[in-house]
Amino acid sequence: MSCKKFRILLSAYLDQEITKDKEKKLLNHLKTCADCARELEYLKQVKRIFILKGKREPQEFFETRLFERIKNKGKQPIWRAYFPVFKRSIVVILIFFSLILGWVSYKKFFYHRTIEIMPYLLIGIDSEENFEEEILQAYYAPPG
Amino acid sequence: MEEDFELLAKFKKGNQQAFESLVRKYKMAVFNTIYSIIGDAQEADDIAQEVFLKVYTKAGSFKRKSSFPTWLYRITVNRCVDELRKRKNKIISLETEFDQDEKLKLKDVLASKEGDITEELRRKELEDIIQKAMNSLPERDRIILTLKEMEGLSYKEISQIMKISIAKVKVWLFRARQKLKGKLSFLYPQE
Repeated sequence: MSCKKFRILLSAYLDQEITKDKEKKLLNHLKTCADCARELEYLKQVKRIFILKGKREPQEFFETRLFERIKNKGKQPIWRAYFPVFKRSIVVILIFFSLILGWVSYKKFFYHRTIEIMPYLLIGIDSEENFEEEILQAYYAPPG
Repeated sequence: MEEDFELLAKFKKGNQQAFESLVRKYKMAVFNTIYSIIGDAQEADDIAQEVFLKVYTKAGSFKRKSSFPTWLYRITVNRCVDELRKRKNKIISLETEFDQDEKLKLKDVLASKEGDITEELRRKELEDIIQKAMNSLPERDRIILTLKEMEGLSYKEISQIMKISIAKVKVWLFRARQKLKGKLSFLYPQE
């Protein structure tokens, strides 16, 4: 095992979150590696700093202020409590209706447009045929 | 742990005093966790209130898949993460650099025996210096160091709170300690 892996074990060793087998390997390594032994001392210093840090108290009347807040939360208008849900619902409804509207518009536009241009398409074919017939008639018609 | 489940069960049935007992039991832990991560005592107080408010409103959704403290710490950590992300957008920064006086004070205290610090003022100064070191660390490192060093949670509990594997807890904790050691490099003899 390399020093790098042993260094990670040092941290777990300090926290007593290491198996007996790995602890044995680590302690053997520390006997021969001055760098890792020094690293362990530094980590112990870091741990000690947190012991010295101690704990703080929250500000006075924490529970009183909390229950006041709970009481006031209960007094808010119902619409305010549901407002975030209401906002989200409105957005979903708007998106849904936009999609429906888009689909309806698409269908209507293309349907009516097709109906509009269809006669021109049909007339186009007919006039070509008529044109050829006229040309033939004109060509083969008796003189005069 | 059973006591917490019982109190919660009573609270769910409408017993407000059961909730008050839970608040009294855990307010120090919640407040100090938040203070250690956020770095501001006033904000920590506000956020602690919000955490308990959430517990009050969401108690019904607690399904006993984990212990009550694990659930409570998870709410606390998530709330801290939200707050730190809000701060990133607002570019709020706390003091993180030590001046010469602070370096000497910390060296002096570490050189003395444990239990020698009895003066309240000196202890407060030391807390501020250490909190400065914590403030200089990234969010993830602050959280993991707080949960392990301040709250004394096991690797398993931390993995449940942060929703990561125990192997990751080991590595992240190691890296966080290395970074903190880097910030406190003035404590160590030059190599």
